[in-house]
Amino acid sequence: MAARGNNRPMSRHDPALARIALLASATALVAALALGLGSGGWDWSLIVSLRAPRVAAAAGVGSLLALAGLALQVLLRNPLADPYVLGHSTGASVGALTALLLGAQLWIGAAAGALVAGLALLWLARPALAAADDASPRLILLGAMLAAVFGAIATLMLALVPDQRLRGAIFWMVGDLSGADASLWNLAGAGLFAAWLWSRGRSVDRLMLGADAAWLLGEPVRRLRLELLVFASLAVGLAVATCGSIGFVGLVVAQGWRLAGVLRTRELAVLSLLSGASLLMAADLLARIVVAPLELPVGAVMALIGAPCFIWFLARGVK
Amino acid sequence: MNPAAQGSAVGARSASGPAPLLQTQALTLRAAGRLLVDALDWRVHAGERWCVIGRNGAGKSLVLRALAGLGVPERAGEVLWQGRPQQHWPAIAAAATRALMPQQAQDRFALTVERTLALSQVVVSCDSRTAGELMSALDIGALAARRADQLSGGERQRVALAQCAMQGAALMLLDEPVSFQDPAHQQLVGRWLAEAATGERAWVASAHDPSWIGRVATHVLALFGDGRWQAGPVDEILSAQVLERTYGCAWRSVEGAWIPA
Repeated sequence: MAARGNNRPMSRHDPALARIALLASATALVAALALGLGSGGWDWSLIVSLRAPRVAAAAGVGSLLALAGLALQVLLRNPLADPYVLGHSTGASVGALTALLLGAQLWIGAAAGALVAGLALLWLARPALAAADDASPRLILLGAMLAAVFGAIATLMLALVPDQRLRGAIFWMVGDLSGADASLWNLAGAGLFAAWLWSRGRSVDRLMLGADAAWLLGEPVRRLRLELLVFASLAVGLAVATCGSIGFVGLVVAQGWRLAGVLRTRELAVLSLLSGASLLMAADLLARIVVAPLELPVGAVMALIGAPCFIWFLARGVK
Repeated sequence: MNPAAQGSAVGARSASGPAPLLQTQALTLRAAGRLLVDALDWRVHAGERWCVIGRNGAGKSLVLRALAGLGVPERAGEVLWQGRPQQHWPAIAAAATRALMPQQAQDRFALTVERTLALSQVVVSCDSRTAGELMSALDIGALAARRADQLSGGERQRVALAQCAMQGAALMLLDEPVSFQDPAHQQLVGRWLAEAATGERAWVASAHDPSWIGRVATHVLALFGDGRWQAGPVDEILSAQVLERTYGCAWRSVEGAWIPA
């Protein structure tokens, strides 16, 4: 367990370090498998030109979503918070579709959409967040309703998409990495996000004691919450712009580590970065090879893994 | 303006002495349109141990929140810490000046007891050794590695008390520190509290049991629930008359213990 000396979170004998090293190796292994396997086999030029960009995109998006999930769970003080469940992803989809129809930059639209969805949720949930009682059911319901509204708007907007691009647009809506290009922005963004969470680790941990408690300890709670929201929204926007909305990565990764006994934000940030990347690389690998040469949208594969996990968490009575 | 407010001798020290740790000037609090505290003028000096009494809903928690600087629905008047209005304190300096133990912990995510205490550290002088001492003094030493959300109500309450003390603030505001404690731990916490307000320190705690208050506190602030209040040394306030006015039932004293009739 991560209950050790206060000011030396990662001492040499800390199990956290071993855990991170192990996970880093596992991530490297998954990356190697994702690069090496697939239709076309082991062909160097194919790997470099086609598979590497895609694997990099999967890793970056997975990390971004896992970190966004971690941030939203702290922000909303709800372990079931996730950008997909709470409508950030669908909000980003609406933003991206708007950008698509207007001919604007996709990622700007997606980030703006995610931010609007996040602010809407935060605003609607104000009374629930301020109250001392447990706001979990109300928040999740609010988020689900927001997600439904944004989903409906996205569906209506799809009707405006020209027919020849409809299939691509639908794949993109449910999450698809086949068109993802080699943007290192995702990886860089994920690294920045994790570094920021690390630097604010103690403050974020204090936020978990409750907003009032953190404020009494001298934390700038409002600013911290705003930063969490902005970072999470930018991350979701970047991820959605790359490959559409992919659910459950955010929920499963951070929550899974919490259940495994990792309770500190700093360690959670590093672990989420690594396991989000490997989870989505693995899901994308499955999406590519299960019915090869056909490809499945990775969002659907992820949902097939993630939704049962979500149900399992709920059934286990995770608060 | 406030017929119940007696110009008690409390805080009537010379003007040249050190500023009181806590001072209110015409503090008025309302909730849902109901006047709960009217024009509270009150001082708490170092070394004093105050208990706030009042029936359920009389505004005890609200007063403590306002004293700590947290948001309350409707409020007027000033609260000063060490002679300086609370809104003029920078957040971190304030954290080293006053600490609040809320009635219910709001944490959603499990942290270990040890980690919870470490996160509550504000001043350098409170370190992991202080945490160890606090844990053994409050009988939670065996819980150090346990998750705070898996403790019993009484254990959680003592952890919250230790958290509050870990802040190292001169003024501790405690919302019902013993409501979940068994008789033995009520005594333990009482003894600890009696020693916690030495030197430059003081505390204000809401509590219900006049017998316990009589053993632990030096002063009492009674809230009558209609805006009126009375503050003074414990012997003065813990009388059949004031207790009846506070709780609406008759009280008698039997060998130092107060029993509702």
